[in-house]
Amino acid sequence: MSVNPFDPKTVLLAKHAQHVVLIHFPIALFAAGVLFDFLAQQTQRRGLAEAAYFNFLVAAISTVPVLATGILAWQFALEGQKLKGTLLEHLVLAFVSTVMIWLVWWVHSRGRRRPEPLPNYRLAIEFLAFAMVGLTAHLGGFLSGVNGPG
Amino acid sequence: MIRKTVLIVGLLATAMVATLLLSAGSPGSSAKTAQPATAEVKVDNFSFGPPTLTVPVGTTVTWTNRDDIPHTVVSTDKVFKSKVLDTDEKFSFTFAKAGTYPYFCSIHPKMTGSVVVQ
Repeated sequence: MSVNPFDPKTVLLAKHAQHVVLIHFPIALFAAGVLFDFLAQQTQRRGLAEAAYFNFLVAAISTVPVLATGILAWQFALEGQKLKGTLLEHLVLAFVSTVMIWLVWWVHSRGRRRPEPLPNYRLAIEFLAFAMVGLTAHLGGFLSGVNGPG
Repeated sequence: MIRKTVLIVGLLATAMVATLLLSAGSPGSSAKTAQPATAEVKVDNFSFGPPTLTVPVGTTVTWTNRDDIPHTVVSTDKVFKSKVLDTDEKFSFTFAKAGTYPYFCSIHPKMTGSVVVQ
C-alpha cells in the first residue's frame, strides 16, 4: 500500500499527509525571498526588493498551517507521545525556523516604513534562517523517508 | 557381619539411585520445561522483515528497529501498538488468538507487514 502525499484525496483524508505537502511552500518562498533580497542588495533594483518582501510575507503566513499540520501529525500518528531523538530535533528546529522566518519578515516590514535603507545585517539573519530551514527540512526528509533509502 | 554391611551399602545405593531418578524427573528440571515460542521481526531500510510472519498461537513476536530513524509498530485492527522505537529499541506482543494481524508504521504508513497466527 503506497501513499502519494500529492494526491488530492490523500491530502484531504489522510491524517498525516498534509504536513509533508504544505511544508514545501514556506521553504520555497523563503529561499526565493533570500535570493531576491541578495540580488536586490547587489543590483539596487527596487522590484527585486519588493519581490523579496512579499515572498517573506507569504512564507511567514504559510508557516502557520505547516506548524498546525505538523503538530496534528504528531497527535494523529503518534498520539502525542513524548518525542525524542530525531523527532524532537525536528520539532525544536521547526519552531526556531518559524521564529526566524517571522523575524526576517518583521525586519523587512519595519524597513519599509522607514526612510533609511534596510540594515545590512538582515542578510546574515536571512542566511542563518535559511540554514535552519534547510536543517529542519533535512531531518524532516529523513523522518518521511524522502532522504533515506526508502 | 559382612552380610549386614552388604545389606546396608545396598540399601544406601538404592536410595541414592532412587533420589537421582526422582530429581531428574521432577517438574523443576530444565530438560522437560516447555519454552515459550518466540519470533523476531527486523525493522530495517523502511521495511518489516519478514513482511509476513507465520507463528503458532501463544508466540511472542519481537520487533527490533535496526533503522537509523524512528518507527512504530501499530496494528491495523488496533490489537497492539508500540511507542516510537528509536534505533535498537524493541517492542514485543504475544499472540493468544489465531488470525491474521496486519500492521504498519504510523510515521511511514507505506511500511506494512502482517503476522499470521495459526
